[in-house]
Amino acid sequence: MESTVSVRTGLKTGRFDPTLMVWVTAAVVLAILIVAPMFYLVYESVAVRQGLGLFETKASFGLGNYVKAYTDPLYRGPILWTVIIAVSVGFFSMLVGSLMAWAVARTDVPYPGLIRTASLVSFVTPPFLGATAWVLLAGPREGWLNIWYRWLTGAGEEDYLFNIFSMPGVIFAMVLYVIPLVFIVVLSGLNNISSDLEDASNIAGAGTLQTMFGITLPLVMPALFAGLILAVLEAMILFGTPAMLAIPARQHVMTTQIRAFMQSEDYLVGLASAFALPMLLAAIVLLWLRRRALGRRSYATIGGKGGQRRPQKLGPYRWVLFAGCVAPLVCALGLPYFALGVNSLMRTQGGGIGWENLTLGNYRFIYENDAVAQSIWNTIVLAIMAATAGTVMAALISYIYQRRLVRGYQVMGFLTTVPLAIPGIVLAVGLFAAYTKQPFVLYGTLWILFLAYLTRYLPVAFQTTNASLMSIHPELEESARILGANRLRVFGEITVPLFKAGLIAAWVLIFMPSIRELSASVLLWTTRTKVISVVIVDFYEEGLLQNVSALGVLLIAITLVFVVGAYRVVGRDFMRT
Amino acid sequence: MRYFVRLAALIAAALLVGGLPAQADQTMEMAKKEGKVVWYSSISLAIAQELCNTFNAKKLGIECVLHRDGSGKLYRRWIQEAKSNIYAADILHTSDIGHFVTLRREGALVPYLPEVAKKYNPAFVEKDGNWLVLRASVYAACYNTKKVTASEAPTSWKDFLDPKWKGKMVNAHPGYSGFVSLGLAALVKEFGWDYLDKLAANQPRIVQSAVDTTTYVVRGEALICSGGGLYNHFGAIKKGEPIKAIIPKEGAPFVASAQAIMKNGPHPNAARVFTDWLFSLEAQQILAKRGLYSGHPDVVYPKGLVPLKEVKLMVVDPEDAMKMDKPIDEAFRRKFGV
Repeated sequence: MESTVSVRTGLKTGRFDPTLMVWVTAAVVLAILIVAPMFYLVYESVAVRQGLGLFETKASFGLGNYVKAYTDPLYRGPILWTVIIAVSVGFFSMLVGSLMAWAVARTDVPYPGLIRTASLVSFVTPPFLGATAWVLLAGPREGWLNIWYRWLTGAGEEDYLFNIFSMPGVIFAMVLYVIPLVFIVVLSGLNNISSDLEDASNIAGAGTLQTMFGITLPLVMPALFAGLILAVLEAMILFGTPAMLAIPARQHVMTTQIRAFMQSEDYLVGLASAFALPMLLAAIVLLWLRRRALGRRSYATIGGKGGQRRPQKLGPYRWVLFAGCVAPLVCALGLPYFALGVNSLMRTQGGGIGWENLTLGNYRFIYENDAVAQSIWNTIVLAIMAATAGTVMAALISYIYQRRLVRGYQVMGFLTTVPLAIPGIVLAVGLFAAYTKQPFVLYGTLWILFLAYLTRYLPVAFQTTNASLMSIHPELEESARILGANRLRVFGEITVPLFKAGLIAAWVLIFMPSIRELSASVLLWTTRTKVISVVIVDFYEEGLLQNVSALGVLLIAITLVFVVGAYRVVGRDFMRT
Repeated sequence: MRYFVRLAALIAAALLVGGLPAQADQTMEMAKKEGKVVWYSSISLAIAQELCNTFNAKKLGIECVLHRDGSGKLYRRWIQEAKSNIYAADILHTSDIGHFVTLRREGALVPYLPEVAKKYNPAFVEKDGNWLVLRASVYAACYNTKKVTASEAPTSWKDFLDPKWKGKMVNAHPGYSGFVSLGLAALVKEFGWDYLDKLAANQPRIVQSAVDTTTYVVRGEALICSGGGLYNHFGAIKKGEPIKAIIPKEGAPFVASAQAIMKNGPHPNAARVFTDWLFSLEAQQILAKRGLYSGHPDVVYPKGLVPLKEVKLMVVDPEDAMKMDKPIDEAFRRKFGV
């Protein structure tokens, strides 16, 4: 209601009505970021192309791509694996992640700060580096853990404890890096519930477990469900882990199959699109379910935290719980960082760990490689560009949304969150289909990667700025308006300084995933526009594990510098959304 | 008119006296203006980088910009980029000679014969200069010497079909690796398509690059590789890794890795200068030192490398390689699942 009123008064007093301009700009941006890629995704999926020579194709329209993608037995495996992996990863991550969240939020588990910080660090660790490390740790024959296992137990040469090149291996390596996602969601859910009811339950004589299952669990159910869904979604759209672990086991998942289509002899963009669209639909359905579960709470992350929260006393069991919380973090951080660090210093791959096998040559190798230098530059430039543009857009949109500046502000808010439902590789297929065509050829430039990163991470930035803006009461702005400042000046001089922390958080939340983005980049890079993650995959495919490790150490170092910096500036709250 | 005659005479004299060097100078001049040469190369990164670094160390004012990837991926990337009107590559170098037959048919190659090519073994030079073979090797198998004894190691290509190796070997992907594409084409020609089915039944780990089959075996993650690049095995042996190459008794598929100047490349003169250098004795000697065979008659091969003429070669001629390229890739995807 308020919006109609303010817009009307604007018209009446004859001042400039921003509605039209805002909407035209929004429409153009929207068309570039979402409509064009999604249109061409659908278009290519129904365009059946026949090659005429190397460079020409002839398209006729029909459902041929879908028929081929979903009837050929060759492609059943990838679909099946994707479904099983996504559901399993969702289930296990939710189990472990919510246990950790409960431990930190509701019990006297030792060192909750450590668990929280370590979860944050594993959250920003690129999963594809984790996968590489786990190849070193749990390759069935020469994984260090398996060697130690044989040495300890005297088991035979062909025996092993773990085989990372298997479906359980893929699930395991994914779960490690999806857990923190659930942890964050459930933790914030728990933090929003007061312990009054739990206390009542305890006073009435219920034990810790009974309280947990009877009271806490039902209260936190929506958050659990939301965490589960985000975990399933994340597992479905990951590219790096299956590319590194499933392909050696002769199995594609949908994301790796899409890339295989795109890079096959006939550039099967149509088949890739036919594979990508159902992933898009699945993501939409999942997010819709999540929204339903959370109700309107999904945006109200900075709601009032009523009441008090008192930790449950667990006695000696708190150390058991501590071990349970730390084990996944050791697997996600301790072991992989150790493996990458050591491997990056190894001269020969077969020489094992020892002084005579020590070298800095792998670092020199990446230092001398101009693809690496170029990719580091590209990565940082892209991440800064995407983060800056994304923050500005997120700030403006959430301002318009919160202050209801234009008609249809709800629609604008909704559209900004739409890309959440577009998996990275699906977006990449769409961008590729849209921007390799004349006259808008962005393929071959950094711009196409910029669009991908911006689109992928704008929603998260928007949610952050939105939540932050919600806490700033409009009366401060109104006073400035009354004193004669225009909207723009108010925004610049009153609003922005007040929500600086929110802006920085949004910037970091785009920057961090951008410097390690893989699933879209892997389809959109060209020789001059490689990014670090793509070079790591290149190295991995050539078997240059020590160089992957060295570059991985570098990438982790860059990431941690930024995380620590962000932590210093905004505090840990920037991980909330 | 008199002026014109004089000009013509001058030109004729120039051509007679120092025509070719003058032309070379001019190429060099323009190459320097172009400033760099972009090389799409499938040779293993360590070697490609050594070549580029050596060239750059000459400070000719031309920088070698390397893009290293698998043969199949490079070839398809070049076509993909050409379709979008992007011409980033000056020179394309892959191990699948079939690519060059196709590209020649499509008019995508710029013929160029460096002076030094006259010295070369004619098998390394396409007659019109459409491509030149930069380096050659053979598709050879390998085993880990810590885990497999010499007497256990396979001696025939058919040994890799023996179920006793099930789950213990590694094979690279023909869609990525030109070595594998050509190697499997030769093996299929020799033993029939059946060979792939039986190989798949032995459930090898599938890696992308032929280089990675070597590293899987040196790490011990696979006991044997059912094919790879002899030069990669050779490099690993030199480094002290626990690996030996196998040249089976039926012979080894010959892999001649060609390169060509690509049409519409952004630095056509630099491409010529770089090509001249790549085929010079200096560059070819770098390749030979790494266990690759050269068409240059004066290179000296390192100790421990089997002379090419002592290897029984299985040769797939370029036309056949071109015809087999896609069917091998498709059959592989179907039979091996990825």
